[in-house]
Amino acid sequence: MGAARRVPIEAGFFTIPEARGEPPRLLGSRCRSCGEHFFPRRAICARCLSDDTEDTRLGPRGTLYTYTYVHVPMFGARRAESGGYGVGQVDLPEGPRVQAVLSGGPGDFRIGMPMELDLETLRENRDGEEVVIFRFRPLDAAST
Amino acid sequence: MKFEDVAVLGVGMVRFGAHKDRSAAQLAREAGLRALADAGLSFRDVGEAFVGYIAPIQMLGIKVMKEFGLTGLPVTHVENASATGLIAFREAAHAVASGRCDVAMALGLDKMTELARGGRGGRGIGRDTIDSVILPAAYFALWAMRRMHERGTRPEHFAKIAAKNWNHGARNPLADRQSDHEVTAEEVLASYPVAEPLTAMMACPVDDGAACVIVGRRELARQLQPGRAVVRPVASALQTETYTPGHTFLGPVVGPASMTRDTAREAYEAAGVDPADVSLALVHDAFANEELEYYELLDFCPEGDAEKLVEDGATRIGGRIPFNTDGGLIARGHPGGPTGLAQVHEIVLQLRHEAGPRQVENARIGLAHLVGGGSVCTVNLFERD
Repeated sequence: MGAARRVPIEAGFFTIPEARGEPPRLLGSRCRSCGEHFFPRRAICARCLSDDTEDTRLGPRGTLYTYTYVHVPMFGARRAESGGYGVGQVDLPEGPRVQAVLSGGPGDFRIGMPMELDLETLRENRDGEEVVIFRFRPLDAAST
Repeated sequence: MKFEDVAVLGVGMVRFGAHKDRSAAQLAREAGLRALADAGLSFRDVGEAFVGYIAPIQMLGIKVMKEFGLTGLPVTHVENASATGLIAFREAAHAVASGRCDVAMALGLDKMTELARGGRGGRGIGRDTIDSVILPAAYFALWAMRRMHERGTRPEHFAKIAAKNWNHGARNPLADRQSDHEVTAEEVLASYPVAEPLTAMMACPVDDGAACVIVGRRELARQLQPGRAVVRPVASALQTETYTPGHTFLGPVVGPASMTRDTAREAYEAAGVDPADVSLALVHDAFANEELEYYELLDFCPEGDAEKLVEDGATRIGGRIPFNTDGGLIARGHPGGPTGLAQVHEIVLQLRHEAGPRQVENARIGLAHLVGGGSVCTVNLFERD
C-alpha cells in the first residue's frame, strides 16, 4: 500500500516533490527586463511594469526576517494537539520576502535564523488525498 | 484635491458595541438623523449620499437610505476595507467640491458581530486559499516583533499605548469600552495572549455601529449654525501600495509601513500643514503597536523616538500630540464602515471645542488616518476656521 497522493491547498504556489523528504520549491516569476523576482507568480513586473516575465522556482532556503506565535488553533489544523502556530516572513536569496506558517513551538524562532521550506499536511480530502500547504522550519531542526 | 469651499456641517453616531436587537438600517437611521440635526438640515436638503460598509450584502446601502425617505437622490456604495468610512467622507467632500451638490452625506454602517459569526469558518477568507490561516493579528504582531528586534521596543510600550486608549475611551460616552477603573499597562500585559507580543487588550473589539458626516458648501455652515466654529477638511490623500524591495504579496493584511509615510506627506503638502501644527491625531490602532509606528510615520517624531513619546506620555490628552482622544479603534471600537466617520465625528467635536472631558486645549488642526486591507492608506486633515 503506497502513501496517499498529496495535493496543494491551492494550485500554482509551490511544487510537491515525489520524494517525501525533499523540500518543495516556491513557484515565482522573474522579470526579464529588470531582473526582479516575485512570489507568487505574476504576469506584469511590479517594479518596472514590463510584461516580459518568466516562471521560476524559488527557495528552498531563506532567512527569518520576523515571526510571531499565534495562540489560537490554526484553521484546518490536522493535529489535535496544535494549540497555536508560528507565522513568519522569510527573505529568499532571490529577493522576495515570503509570509508563511512556521513549523515549531513558541520558543523555537529567532530573527535572522536560516529557514527551509517544508510541506505540512492539513487534512484529508474526500478522495483520500492529503491536502498540503508550504511552511518554513528552522534549518537546524531539519538537520537534527 | 482642494477643499476650499467645503465644510463639515454636521456629525452623528451611535455608541459602538454589540447591538443585537437593532438592525444595521436602524443604527444608520439614528446616526444619520443625529448628523442632520447637528447640521440643522432635513433629509430633503441632501443632494447625494455615499454609504460605506464592509458587509458583503448587495444593495444594502441603497435600501438603507430609503429609511430617511425617498427623494430620488444619487446613492453610491463605498468599500475600502477598514478605511471605508474615511473614503465615503472623501467622496462626499469631492461631490460638494466639484459643484455636483450643495450638501452630501457620508454614512457608515456595519454589524461585525454578525460577520464574525457567519461566513466560512468565521474568519479569514475561506478554507481553501493559500493564506486563509493567517489572521490580521499575526500580521501586526510580525510588525511588532521586528520593531522590538530593531529598536529594543518592549511589550510595555505597546501596553502603555493600549492602556491610554482604554482610558481615553472611558471619557467618551459613545465608546464601546468604558472601563470603570484606570487601566494599567500591567493589566494589558496580563490579558490573554493573541499573537506574540500582542495581548487581547491591545486589540480592537468586534463591533456593530453607524456614524454619519454631512458636508456642504462652506457658506452654508455659518448660515445654518451661526456662532459655531466651522470645521473644514483641508486635505484628503488616498494611496495604495508602492512597490519596494522585500515587498510581501501573499498574506499581509496591509502593505508596507512606508504607505502611511507617503500618504501623510501627500496630505501635509496639499494642505500646507506642518506636522508640528497638528493638535490631535486619530489613527488605525487595530493593534496597539501600530499606533507607535504611526508616531514616526506621520512625522510627529524622528525615526527611533516613538518609544520616548510613549514614555513621556506625549500622546495622552494633555500631552504634546494627543492620539486617539476618543479611545481609538481599541476602545471606541471598530465596526468597519463607520470607523472613519467616527474619527471625523471626534475631530469635529474637538475642533469646535465641544469634546467635554476629553477636550484637547486650543485644538485647531486634526488628522484622521486609516489603513485598509488590500491595501490602502488614507490621511485626512481638518482645520478650525
